[in-house]
Amino acid sequence: MTLINPKVPVTFDKIQKSFGAVRVLEELNLAVEPGEFLVLLGASGSGKTTALRILSGLETATSGSVMIGDREVTHVLPKYRDISMVFQSYALYPHKTVAENIGYPLKVRGVAKADAEVQIKDAAAQVQLGDLLHRYPRELSGGQRQRVALARAIVRRPSVFLMDEPLSNLDAKLRGHMRAELKHMQNTLGTTTIYVTHDQIEAMTLARRVAILEKGILQQLATPAEIYNNPANLFVAQFIGSPPMNVVHGQLDGAVFHSNGAKVDVPVSGKVAKAILGVRPEDCTVVSPAKGNVAAEIYTVELIGDHTLVTVKSGSDMVTVKAPKDFNGKTGEKIGVLLTKDRLFVFDAATGERVR
Amino acid sequence: MSVTGLKFEESRRGLMERLFEAPAIGKMSPAAKFVVYGFLLFWTIFVLFPIYWVVITAFKSAQVVNEGPYYIPFVDFSPTLDGWRAQFATDPFCDLAAVGRQLGLYVYNSVAFILSPFVAIAPMEPQICKVFLAYTNSFVISIGSTTLCMIIGSMAAYALARIQYKPKFGNIFMFVLLALGAIVATNYAGLHWAASGAIGLALFFLLARAFGKHFDAQLGNGDILFWIISQRILPPIVVIFPIYMMFQAVGLIDTHLALILVYAVANLPIVVWLMHDFFASLPIELEESAQLDGATRFGIFWDIVLPLTRPGLAAITLLTLILNWNEYILAVFLSLSKAQTMPIMVAAKNAGERGILWWEMCAIIVVMIIPVIIMAIFLQRFIAKGVLLGAVKG
Amino acid sequence: MPSATKTKGQPGSSPAGLSPSESWSEWIDRHSGTYFIAPAVTLILIFAIFPTFYSIVFAISRVKFTPNGLQFRTVWLQNFQKQFLGNEQIHFLGRLEGLSVIGWVFWLAVTGAVLWWLYRSFRNGASWIGMIGRLISATTAIAIAFILGATLLSGNNWGTLMTTLFYVIIGCAVQFVIGTALAFLCSQPISGKNFFRVVFFVPLMITPLGVGYAFKMILDITKGPFQPFWDFIGLHDWAWSTDAWAARWFVILGDSWQWIPFIFIIMLAALENVPRDQVEAAQVDGASSFQIFRDVTWPQIVPVAATVILIRMIEAFKIVDLPNIMTSGGPGIATESMTLHSVFLWRANDMGNSAAVAYLLLILTVIVCSSFFNYVVLGQLRKAK
Repeated sequence: MTLINPKVPVTFDKIQKSFGAVRVLEELNLAVEPGEFLVLLGASGSGKTTALRILSGLETATSGSVMIGDREVTHVLPKYRDISMVFQSYALYPHKTVAENIGYPLKVRGVAKADAEVQIKDAAAQVQLGDLLHRYPRELSGGQRQRVALARAIVRRPSVFLMDEPLSNLDAKLRGHMRAELKHMQNTLGTTTIYVTHDQIEAMTLARRVAILEKGILQQLATPAEIYNNPANLFVAQFIGSPPMNVVHGQLDGAVFHSNGAKVDVPVSGKVAKAILGVRPEDCTVVSPAKGNVAAEIYTVELIGDHTLVTVKSGSDMVTVKAPKDFNGKTGEKIGVLLTKDRLFVFDAATGERVR
Repeated sequence: MSVTGLKFEESRRGLMERLFEAPAIGKMSPAAKFVVYGFLLFWTIFVLFPIYWVVITAFKSAQVVNEGPYYIPFVDFSPTLDGWRAQFATDPFCDLAAVGRQLGLYVYNSVAFILSPFVAIAPMEPQICKVFLAYTNSFVISIGSTTLCMIIGSMAAYALARIQYKPKFGNIFMFVLLALGAIVATNYAGLHWAASGAIGLALFFLLARAFGKHFDAQLGNGDILFWIISQRILPPIVVIFPIYMMFQAVGLIDTHLALILVYAVANLPIVVWLMHDFFASLPIELEESAQLDGATRFGIFWDIVLPLTRPGLAAITLLTLILNWNEYILAVFLSLSKAQTMPIMVAAKNAGERGILWWEMCAIIVVMIIPVIIMAIFLQRFIAKGVLLGAVKG
Repeated sequence: MPSATKTKGQPGSSPAGLSPSESWSEWIDRHSGTYFIAPAVTLILIFAIFPTFYSIVFAISRVKFTPNGLQFRTVWLQNFQKQFLGNEQIHFLGRLEGLSVIGWVFWLAVTGAVLWWLYRSFRNGASWIGMIGRLISATTAIAIAFILGATLLSGNNWGTLMTTLFYVIIGCAVQFVIGTALAFLCSQPISGKNFFRVVFFVPLMITPLGVGYAFKMILDITKGPFQPFWDFIGLHDWAWSTDAWAARWFVILGDSWQWIPFIFIIMLAALENVPRDQVEAAQVDGASSFQIFRDVTWPQIVPVAATVILIRMIEAFKIVDLPNIMTSGGPGIATESMTLHSVFLWRANDMGNSAAVAYLLLILTVIVCSSFFNYVVLGQLRKAK
């Protein structure tokens, strides 16, 4: 059975949402390209789920409009939006078998039984559930339940998939596996997908573009590489990357960053009284005290496996450095840290904006 | 200390210690066991004795009852079927053929009732066995009323758990005023009740449309829920005269329908309260998912929500059935003969000329409580699982 | 079907592209909010709210049966006045012939306590609506204390009002204590728990009429099962049905037999719902079962207890079958509840007074139950949260 999926764009236009006096979304403008895998990334309370629910129609925006394709759907009932959604809890009907669960969207749309059966089998086969059709959700493992939820979403061939943290209830190993499958499936189907998560690794691996939300405001919308290499502001810079980017407080004066007497040359110039220097752990190197840009002493050493994380203390700032796995230093040992100049970011401490 | 040392101490426990101290955590000392089982056993006897006495009295003869207490059948008195014979054998209509005839009549009358909007078929009067009539009446009324109450009550409870209602306070106030006006117009100005009711309703809808937008004060779902639940406070005696008059006005006195409706309303608060708790505790994603898939509100309710609350539904249905089966005071007012239920039948035995005929009375009571005991055992299973606890926790 | 332009901006309308005209099933679905709740609200309006209002017509009238139906003559508050001050006073309130010393002391003590409570809640800054509620509760409490002082404590008989309160307060108290105690015993590690559970539950399901007859039979002095016992203590020609207090207590006995299971079953469920680990922690600390109950379990089940008492109270105010069957309200009016009072008046074709008594029962129930709800249940629920 071959089905060509319509690739449709999705547009949020000045979407605002308040619950009572609480503003959850402030003027969200977001254009999702046809067939794109877009991830909405943010911490809890950032408004990412609300945005998704507004798109699904389960929540109504306070103001603004939503378009799916060239159709405005702001006030259209969910069932007419031609979307399907995978919930964090999977929302499988416990009293229905796998086949009935997958077939439910077809049943309520009045698809003929014979047709429905073919489509159910097709969808189940796509997620490798073919032999479990007569089981009940309670008899399935977490991963299998996840697949049922996916099959139920794809069986109807909607124009947009919505996924609300679909992998967060799985254990770490399974999550990696399902992530790969999900990406593959989206590639094959080519359906526009909007995926909500708080997990940056999921976002980086799955997305064609990532939209980072915080406090109801879109912080940056870009490809994963762009977000990592060129963060728009301090929040994005700190949110992405594991272990997180190191920050050092100080002043920017010309092309030199001053902190506790140490001077670091940075690739930007300007004059900011309260500035923050950001540097990723892999862009620092531990060297002998004389050679480094910054003098420090070792605070802890953690062997991760393929590398060692060394946390050093310089004045009141802690800096984590990614060192080779055979690094051996002792706590309290005096060392120097060398920073790669063109991989340094400077932010305005007051606004969090990047100084470029 | 070594293991043997521990054992040595164990055996050194004195008599008092062994009696009053628990041998292990989560176990009881012999003394506590004695007290606990003693009380429980005493209560078992206290609970079962009245039932036992009713059952054996049903098999006593008039003479045995009047001579004084006899306790054990076959040992100190020989059981007879006098009480049962008086119910069934002396009533000329209580043979098997008559019972069959009556069942046929029920079918005939039900068909006549269903077809009544289209064809006029005169219902036939049942002319047979009173106990059987009361028994079937009780069944028809309990089951009919429970069904109605469960359907209406669970729909309302679900709606209150999931749909936002914002009735305007002003509209409610207006409705009350108009209702009072209609009552005054009917009672003191001589207007026909149907006319004043219709005018009142029409006025209400007109005024609500015209002024409703200007009222600001709103009530919420919680207020509606509280309003429905608080109806249970209403003593039946307060509303029974007006209800009697209403049914008289529409010719429904002494019919099954009248009792079915009134019982349904009497139990609605319980059903709404308990069901609301079940619905509110369901994960909402299931319903949202079905909504996205295109199900209608009723489809979601019927296909997703009701199957998930099956234990609660079963428990509350049984509870409502039992309450309806036992109801007395409303039936006294609303049934005369045709729709008489079992409780009325039992109470009527009180008024014999020779005092209470205990053996007959007990026979009827036994007949009446058998289905209830069976239901109670089923219901108990649900309650043991804590099915009904959620709502009480508030 | 409204025009397409009009529906476009409304929530819940069908989109222009997918379904050009709304089908009837969609129209129904769009109004699901109405039809889900409308039947329940309509039924309650017709069979509860409307009759409650209409009862006022009865209560303020003298009703006569005429060949063309009932004839109402409006007498306004005369029916109510009669219950409190007129010739029905003895029946409703009791014989009020001045207070004895004990009566005075009791009444003054209660009044003082109530006024102190009022003053304190006023000082604590209750809202004006809360103050009105408290004033009503306080007035009722003072009035009831006065009646109690003037009747029971001054050696006079009381009326149906106090009898009803007696059934409600003493009945609920007895049933709660015994029901909770049984639930506690059943929550201990005992075998045969399910057997006790089923057996203890059964009385709740038996028709109150049956309970009335069973107890009437069992408590019979000459033919009942305890005849040897009555003989033994020399009461073989005592008739409890002629002793006001014995009759009242026996009604409570029957009522308790029926309703203790209700308390028992809910309290047992509540007890078993207390987290196991907390109980185990206390056991490891060496607390006895009773100490665990008092210090760990009880504080957690108080909200359930308060709610269960409220439910029981609401139902207890409606008591009628038991006194009707066991004593017919006698001796005299000693065991007559207000519902029974109203039924007797109705049987005597005095529908106006009957409705007035019924209405007073409604008012009393609402005041007592909402006082209990506001001052006890809500407080416990708040504490639990």
